[in-house]
Amino acid sequence: MVKIFIDDKELEVSNGLTILRAAEGAGIPIPHFCYHPAFAPEGSCRMCLVEISGLPKLELACSTVVREGMKILTASEKVIEARKAVLEFLLAEHPLDCPICDKAGECKLQDYFEEYGFFASRFKEAKEKREKKVQISKNLILDRERCILCTRCLRFLSEITKTQDVGVLNRGIHSEIAVYESNFIDNHYAGNLAELCPVGAITDTDFRFKTRAWFLVKKESICPMCSRGCNIFIDSHPGFARTPLAQRVYRIRARENQDINSFWICDFGRYHYSYIDQGRQERIVLKKEAKDTELSWEKALIILAEKVKSLVYLKKKSRIGVILNTWLTNEELYLADKVFKKGLGLENIYVVDPPSEKGDDFLLTEERTPNRRGLKEVGLPDLTPDLGKLALQTDLLLIFGTFLVGRFSVTELKSAFDKIGTKFLFAAHKSALDSLVDVVIPTPLIAEKGGSLTNVNGKVQSFSPALDNSLGLPEWKLLIDLAKELKINHKPFWQLSSPQAILEEMGRGIPFFK
Amino acid sequence: MIKALEYFVEIIKGSLITCRHFIVNMVFHTLKVLGIKTKRKGAVTIQYPEEKKEIASRHRSLHRLMRREDGKPRCVSCMLCVTVCPSECIAVEATEDPDPEIQKIPAKFNIDMSRCCFCGFCVEACPEDAIRMDTAKIEIAEYARKDLIYGLDKLLG
Repeated sequence: MVKIFIDDKELEVSNGLTILRAAEGAGIPIPHFCYHPAFAPEGSCRMCLVEISGLPKLELACSTVVREGMKILTASEKVIEARKAVLEFLLAEHPLDCPICDKAGECKLQDYFEEYGFFASRFKEAKEKREKKVQISKNLILDRERCILCTRCLRFLSEITKTQDVGVLNRGIHSEIAVYESNFIDNHYAGNLAELCPVGAITDTDFRFKTRAWFLVKKESICPMCSRGCNIFIDSHPGFARTPLAQRVYRIRARENQDINSFWICDFGRYHYSYIDQGRQERIVLKKEAKDTELSWEKALIILAEKVKSLVYLKKKSRIGVILNTWLTNEELYLADKVFKKGLGLENIYVVDPPSEKGDDFLLTEERTPNRRGLKEVGLPDLTPDLGKLALQTDLLLIFGTFLVGRFSVTELKSAFDKIGTKFLFAAHKSALDSLVDVVIPTPLIAEKGGSLTNVNGKVQSFSPALDNSLGLPEWKLLIDLAKELKINHKPFWQLSSPQAILEEMGRGIPFFK
Repeated sequence: MIKALEYFVEIIKGSLITCRHFIVNMVFHTLKVLGIKTKRKGAVTIQYPEEKKEIASRHRSLHRLMRREDGKPRCVSCMLCVTVCPSECIAVEATEDPDPEIQKIPAKFNIDMSRCCFCGFCVEACPEDAIRMDTAKIEIAEYARKDLIYGLDKLLG
């Protein structure tokens, strides 16, 4: 530990830390472009200059290591003047096309220029003309005029993905970021570059021109596309009073979590968000003789409970089947275990998940479902149903999710489902199953409900809803209502009113969730 | 009692003022009709649809979108007007322009005239001087609400 002074504030920091990190830890912001906590300091932008007593020149905060008794000034006159000069030099070549730049609103250059007083440029020379639209990967467009050559992208590709696709070519005013021989950056972490770029030099075609950053509501969530459980931000547009938008989610961004995903997410998680707004189930529907009747949850619950009760009364419990999936949260799996396995004593509990796909050695896992580990920890069996057998031994089938469609063909499903008396479907999306079942009950997605997920390494992460949910009650609420209607378990159990309360209750029963 | 009488006095006074205006205006109007005194007009209502009052140069009337020299809309759909609009009546959708110097042009630019309060903030906010409110058109009426949503075709005019 060494003792340093930043702006007359005495700090005790660990040895070997850079000034910028020490200041950030103490809540003193030092402006920077090229520095990023994930990479080795580069020191190319010169924005983080600070004054150190006893030294004749200003030093770089991002690469100067603290020493005992160091006195650092981060906002002295000399420092402010130097930063203004750096900004003036950067802006001498930066086109002021903020109106058409997707970064506007969250651009560091904009923020610092505002902070340091909107001064007028003293350069009389015309700005250099460069290429404005260079495709550098499937989804990324490079604008060389906007680039401030911070080389964050270069360092990401050499330190994180280790593919080294990009370099700085030429020298002086002609330096530019360019892709080497292969014309494209071809790895599925490239989407991070648009987020990493401190200015709008690299933009994402997926988000390009769709909306402006300041309209978006940024909420924390967890990526459900694989079992890694990367922390993300879901950026959604609340829409306007009279002109509702067809799309709510416009962008997925990585959220820092050093234990899981550091600062990054893969492109698979980043670009797969259209499912949130497309093809959603909207109403509880009872399908009877090709006629659809809309139901309230209270009525649907009574129908469901009556079916279950009559089968239990007739001692035909074994003829009730449940198909779960691991897009359900820990709480919902726990409730399913409590209600179906422990409460009703059902044996035919199956799990149908999206099929595994090829993963990679960084973040993306093979399992394309967020809570497989949670299923194991809750203690539910991981059985895939045999459709033919299922059809013969089942009178009432409760299906959670639409993943059956991916596993079996529609004709297979139809022939099996025709033999089953009553089928209830709890699903977020419309699918081929809709016409095969008797009651469809819409459910929210992970982005719209609260709860917790257990990632592949057994880390339990709680999350709250990132989007409004107006389509249906979350599964945990449905299961609690069902338990109450069937009088399973005891009164305090029926009164569990939030995922947090359920998680607490789980902690008492299962040590893993403590 | 006296208080009640005062009311009548005030009513008579008011009627006299009305009468004075009527007589003065009538006299001047008659003189003008007879061609005796033509410069001073009597305060007569403008016969609106046939006769129109001149609109002040800074009057804010129906919006129009400006064009570039080559005829493309000047708008780059930066959505600053959408941001600043207090009645949330502007809806813009951007699309890619093949020219890398322009890059962004509006695919859709709708102003809901039934919601617009003619504050002129969109004109103030526009960095490209692409929207103006100087058409001097003030008759914006339609038979259906949906016709009051003006699109690119109407605004570029």
